[in-house]
Amino acid sequence: MNPAIRWFHSLGSPPTFDRFAARWAPWCHGAAMLLIALGLWQALFVVPADYQQGDSFRILYIHVPAAWMSMFVFGLMAVYAAIALVWRIKLCEILAMACAPIGAAFTLITLATGSIWGKPMWGTWWDWDPRLTTELVLLFLYLGVIGLNAAIEDRRAAARAAGFLAIVGVALLPVIRYSVTWWNSLHQGATIKLFGESTMDASMTWPLWVMVLATKFWFVGSLLQRARADNLAREANKDWARASAGVPR
Amino acid sequence: MSYLEYVIGAYAVFVLFLVWDFVVPRLRLARTRRNIVLRAKREAARLSGNPA
Repeated sequence: MNPAIRWFHSLGSPPTFDRFAARWAPWCHGAAMLLIALGLWQALFVVPADYQQGDSFRILYIHVPAAWMSMFVFGLMAVYAAIALVWRIKLCEILAMACAPIGAAFTLITLATGSIWGKPMWGTWWDWDPRLTTELVLLFLYLGVIGLNAAIEDRRAAARAAGFLAIVGVALLPVIRYSVTWWNSLHQGATIKLFGESTMDASMTWPLWVMVLATKFWFVGSLLQRARADNLAREANKDWARASAGVPR
Repeated sequence: MSYLEYVIGAYAVFVLFLVWDFVVPRLRLARTRRNIVLRAKREAARLSGNPA
C-alpha cells in the first residue's frame, strides 16, 4: 500500500489519532494566534477608514471570515457524518460531532458582529432579511445537531442520528450563499471574491485573507483538541488511554 | 463617524468566543484524564483489598 494512504488509514486508530492531535493542535492554535495578531493589527490600526462607513467597516475583518467558516464547518461536518454513516468509522463520528460547537460559535460570531455593524449602518440590530434569517436557521441546525448528540445515551447511535441531521442540513448552504441573489435583500451582495475581481481595494482586502487563513488554522486546532478529548473519554477503559492519562502500568 | 464603541463591541465578541473555544476542550480533556486516574486508583485499591 502507498505509505501516504497507509499513514492516513493509521490515523483512524484512536491511539494514533490521540498522538497526532496532541502534537498538531498546539501548532495550529499557535499559527492562528500569530495570524490573528497580524490581521487584527492591520485591520484596526493600518487600513484606512472607509469614506462612507467610517471605522465601522473594520467589523468586516471578523464578520466575513466567521461567516465563511460557519458554512465551511457545516459542510465538513456533513462530509465526516456521511463517511461515518457509510463506513462506520468511529473517528469520523467523533470529528463530525466536534465540528458542531466550533461551527455554532462561528455562526454566533457572524450574527452578533453583523448585528453590531447593522445598528449604525442600517439603523437596526436585526431585520428578517433572507441572508440574516438563513444564517439564523444555520445556527438552529447546529444547535439541533449538538442537542440530538447529547440527548441519546448510546454515543454511536447519537452521533449517527445527529450526523444524519447534518447531512440533511447541507441543503441550506446554497440557500445562504445565494439568498442575496434570489431575493431582494438588505444585506449587500458579494464584494469580496475568491475568484474574480473584488470591489474592495486591494490594500483593504489583504488583512481579510490573513484573517480567513487564521480562522482556518484556529478551526483545525480546535477540531483536533475537541476530538482528542471525546476520543479519550470514549476509550477511557483502554490501556492506551490509561497510559495517555499518566496511569502507571 | 468613528463608531468606535461598535467596533470594540464586535471585536470583544470575537475574542470572547475564541477564548471559550480554546479553554473548554482543554478543561474537558483535563477532567477526562483525572477521571481515568481516579478510576485506576479505585481499581488498584479494590484489588489490594484496601479502601480507596
